[in-house]
Amino acid sequence: MLQPLIDLKNISKSFDGQIVLDDLSLTVKENTFVTLLGPSGCGKTTTLRIIGGFESPDKGQVLFDGQDITQIPPNRRQLNTVFQKYALFPHMNIAENIAFGLKIKGKSKSYIQDKIAYALKLVNLDGYENRSVDSLSGGQQQRIAIARAIVNEPRLLLLDEPLGALDLKLRQDMQYELIRLKNELGITFIYVTHDQEEALTMSDTIVVMNQGYIQQMGTPEQIYNEPENAFVADFIGESNIVDGLMLHDELVEIFGAKFACVDKGFGTKQPVDVVIRPEDIDLVEPENGTLIGTVTHLIFKGVHYEMEVTTDNGFEWLVHSTDMFPVGKKVGIHVDPFDIQIMNKPASEDEEAVGVNE
Amino acid sequence: MKTQNHSRLKRFFEDFYLVLVLIFLYAPIATMMVLSFNSSKSRTQWGGFTLDWYTSMFESASITTALYNTLLIAFLSAAIATLIGTLSALGISSMKKMPRTIMLGVNNIPILNSDIVTGISLMLAFLAFGISLGFKTILLAHITFNIPYVILSVMPKLKQTSKSTYEAALDLGASPIQAFFKVVFPDIMPGVLSGFLMAFTMSLDDFIITHFTRGAGINTLSTLIYSEVRRGIKPSMYALSTVIFVTVLALLLITNFSPDKQSKQMAALTPKQLQKKEKQERTRKVLLVTAAFFVIVSVCFSSYKYYLVSHSDELYVYNWGEYIDESVIEQFEEETSIHVVYDLFETNEEMYPVIEAGGVQYDAVCPSDYMIQKMAENGLLAEINFENIPNISYIGEEYLERSKSFDPQNLYSVPYSWGTVGILYNTKKLEEMGMEAPTKWSDLWDERYEGEILMQDSVRDAFMVALKALGYSMNTDDIGELQEAKDLLIAQKPLVQAYVVDQVRDKMIGGEAAIGVIYSGELLYIQEEVANLGLDYELAYVIPEEGTNIWLDSWVIPANAQNKENAEKWINFLCRPDIALKNFEYITYATPNTGAFELLDSETQNNQSVFPDISKLENCEVFQYLGEETDEVYNNLWKEIKAK
Repeated sequence: MLQPLIDLKNISKSFDGQIVLDDLSLTVKENTFVTLLGPSGCGKTTTLRIIGGFESPDKGQVLFDGQDITQIPPNRRQLNTVFQKYALFPHMNIAENIAFGLKIKGKSKSYIQDKIAYALKLVNLDGYENRSVDSLSGGQQQRIAIARAIVNEPRLLLLDEPLGALDLKLRQDMQYELIRLKNELGITFIYVTHDQEEALTMSDTIVVMNQGYIQQMGTPEQIYNEPENAFVADFIGESNIVDGLMLHDELVEIFGAKFACVDKGFGTKQPVDVVIRPEDIDLVEPENGTLIGTVTHLIFKGVHYEMEVTTDNGFEWLVHSTDMFPVGKKVGIHVDPFDIQIMNKPASEDEEAVGVNE
Repeated sequence: MKTQNHSRLKRFFEDFYLVLVLIFLYAPIATMMVLSFNSSKSRTQWGGFTLDWYTSMFESASITTALYNTLLIAFLSAAIATLIGTLSALGISSMKKMPRTIMLGVNNIPILNSDIVTGISLMLAFLAFGISLGFKTILLAHITFNIPYVILSVMPKLKQTSKSTYEAALDLGASPIQAFFKVVFPDIMPGVLSGFLMAFTMSLDDFIITHFTRGAGINTLSTLIYSEVRRGIKPSMYALSTVIFVTVLALLLITNFSPDKQSKQMAALTPKQLQKKEKQERTRKVLLVTAAFFVIVSVCFSSYKYYLVSHSDELYVYNWGEYIDESVIEQFEEETSIHVVYDLFETNEEMYPVIEAGGVQYDAVCPSDYMIQKMAENGLLAEINFENIPNISYIGEEYLERSKSFDPQNLYSVPYSWGTVGILYNTKKLEEMGMEAPTKWSDLWDERYEGEILMQDSVRDAFMVALKALGYSMNTDDIGELQEAKDLLIAQKPLVQAYVVDQVRDKMIGGEAAIGVIYSGELLYIQEEVANLGLDYELAYVIPEEGTNIWLDSWVIPANAQNKENAEKWINFLCRPDIALKNFEYITYATPNTGAFELLDSETQNNQSVFPDISKLENCEVFQYLGEETDEVYNNLWKEIKAK
C-alpha cells in the first residue's frame, strides 16, 4: 500500500566528537504525518537537518523515493522545510516571500500570482500580499512560512518545531490547521517537536528519540498505552513507574501486594518496571484496595483532580480522578489488569538510552 | 508660588547651561562659516556678504584637484574597504566564539590606535617595501584604516540576521550564491551601507595619516589647507572647510537615519504608498549605479591622464603655499609640455629636512635667504647654469648684490620676491593720542604707547627690532649684544599688547592697536582692505631709520634634482616680465623683476611702502644662518623674555 518515501540507513553523526546520532535507521512512508519526538539534544533536529540536506551524515545513507540523495545539496532536493523561527525574509513583503522559490525556478508571472493567491487562501491569510513581515503576528508568520514552502509542491514537508514560539491557544489552532493541510495536500510531513501533546494530537506515527537513538516507534495510541521502556513512559504523559516483581505470567507483585495484569513472557520471579498512568488508578474505600495509602496532596485541574497518595512504604502515587478525596483521607488503590504495563528493567543506563531499536 | 518660581529658575539655568554647551561646541564652526561669506579678508571686520570665496575656491586648480583627490580617495577606499570588510565580517561571524572574540579585539586595536602611529608605521612599511609615496599609498592607507570600521558596523547586522534565512533560501531552491545575494546581503545591507558611509567620512576627515603617506604633488583637502596656513589662511579655505563640514554632517545624518527605521514605517503603508516606495527604491538604485559608473569612468580617465603625463617630461616644484598664481603653472605646462608636480611647504624649517632626506627629489625650491645659505653650506644645492636663464637680465642688479650676503658668488639662487619689515601705524589713533608718526624702532619703547603695540611672535624678528634699536647687526652672535637686546625686549613687555604673527594685519585693520611690527608684503592688501571697508583711518608704513631686515625668497635647485634643465626652464620662465607681473599681482610681495616693475601702473610703482628704493636702504641686512649653537642662544634668550 504506502510506499516508503524516506529511508534513513545507519546514519551516524557527531559534532566536535560528541555523538548525536548513532547508527540510526528510519523509514517514513508516503503520505503520513510522522513526528520525531524527544527532549532537546536527542538528535531529532539533526535527523531533520540531514533529511533537509543542511547537515551531511558521517556515515549512512539517505534515500528519497529509492534514490540516494545523501550528497545532494538542499536546493536540489524535492522537499521543503518550515523553520523553527519561521525564517521569513524580512526585506521582502509577503507575496515576495512566497514567490521566492517559484522565481528561482523561473516560473511564469501568472503562475506565481495564482500560486500566491492559492497558498494564502490555504493558510487563511488572503489579502496579505503586500504586508511586510514585521506587521504580522507570530502565528501569521508561521502560516506564511508554511505557504512559502508548499507553493513549491514538495513531496515532503519538514517542520522543525514550527509552533514552539507560539502561545498555547494559537498552538492548538495551528495543530488543527496542520492536520487539515496535510489532508488537503496529500503530502508527507516530518514534524519535529519536544511537545508530546502536539505529537499525540497530529501524528500518524510517532518516533520517540533519546540520546541519538530511536526509543520507540508507533501510533500515538501504541506509544501512550504501551510504552516499551521507562523513558518513553516517562516522556509521554505522566506516569507512575515503580519497581515490581513478575511472579509469573499475568501476575505482578508491587510493594508486597499482588496485581493481576495481562503481560506474559517475562519469566518467573523477575524484577521488572511497572508503568501505571495516573488516570488509570481507581481510588476506592481502603477495604477494597490492593494497596492502602493516604491522600497527601490535592489540586483542582479543571477537567480532573490531581492527587498524591502516599503508601506505607513512602511511595507517592500520582492519581488523576474526577472524584475528589480530601487530604488526610485513607484510600485504597485499585488498578485494572489491562491498565498495567510491564517493562524489562534496563541492565545499564546505556541500554536505557538504546532502548528497543526495533 | 515660591516653588513655582524656584522650578522656573531651575529650568532657566538648565536651558542656559545647554545653550552654553552648544555655543562652546559650535561657535568656532559657526564663526568659520560666517567668515566664509565675508567679503573682507579680515577676521575681525565684516565687509558685506559675498559668495566670491566659494567661486574662487572652485576656480583654484589646486583646490579642485585636491577636492577631486579627496573624493576619489574617499570613494575608492570606502568601496574597497567595504568589500574587504564585509567579507571579513562574514568570515569572522562564522568562527567559533574564542577566535571570533580574538579577531574582534584585533580589529578594534587599529581604531583605538592614534592616527600618528598608524600614519608613521604605514609610511615606514611603504618605504620598507620600496613603494614610492603617492596617490596609491594614500589610497592603500585609507583602505587599511577603513576596514575595521566596516567590520564594526557589519558585524551587529550579521548577528541579527538569523542563519536560518540563508538555509530557507537554499531550501527553496536557491544556490548558495543566489541565497547570499537575494537574502543575506539585503538583510545586512543597512550595516554595509553605514559601514561604507562611515569609511567615506573617515577618509574625508583624515589628515595625519594622509600627511605621512602622501608623496610629491598629491594633496587632499586637509593637507592642502594645512600647507596654506603659512600666509594666513585665505577665506576660500573657510569656504572649503564649510563645504567639508556640511558634507560630513550630511553623511552623518544619512548614516543615522538608516533604513532600519524605514522598514518599521513600511508596515503601516497602504499598497499605493508601497508602490511609491518601491519606485523610490528603484530611483535610488539607478542613482547608485549612475554614481558608480561616474566614478569608474573618472578613475579610468584620471589614470589615463596620469599615464600620459608620466611618460612626458616632469618637474617637481616645492614652494610656499599661496606663493604663485596658479595659472602660471598651467601656462608653463602648455608652453613647455613639461608636467609640473607642485608641492607646498609651510616654513623653511619644514622644507629643509625634506630636501636633506631626499625622499622626494624636488627640482626647484623657493627658500628664504638664510636657509639658502644653510643649504649651500651643507652641499644641498646645485650651481645654476645661468646660460639657461637669459631672463636673469630682468632681475635688478641691486637684488643680486643683496643676495651675495647669503650666496656670495650668486651661484645658487635667483631672487623671486622680497620685502622689508617695518612699523605699521594708525594715523587717527596717533593723532588722538597726540603723538608724532614713528620714524625709528626706538619709538616702540615710548611709554605713551602702553597697550597699543603689536610685536612679531618670532625669535629672529623680535631680536631684529631690539638689535637694530641698539644699533647692532641683526645677525650678531655676540653674547653681550644679545643680552642687551634681551633686556630691552623685557623692558618693552609692559607696553606690548600682544605677540602675534599674522594677526597684526587683522588687528590693525580692526583698529585694535595703534602700532605694530609688520612685513611689507601685507601692505598692498591692507591698504586695499582699508579702502574697501571705508574705514575712517589710515594705516601707514614706515621703514625705521636704524635700518631693518630685508628678506629675499629665491629659487634654488637642489643637488639631487632629477630634472635640472627643466628647473632652469622653470626659473627662466618665472623671470619673464609678464609672468613675474602675474605673480606680483597675486602675491602682492615686492618683485625684484625690473621688467615686471616697468609694467606696473605709476601709483603702484611709486608706493614707497611696497617698493622702497633698495639701493638707498641704509643699515639694512638680510638674515643669515648663524649656525646651530647661536640659534640655541637666541632661542634660550627668547624663552626668558616670553617667560617674564
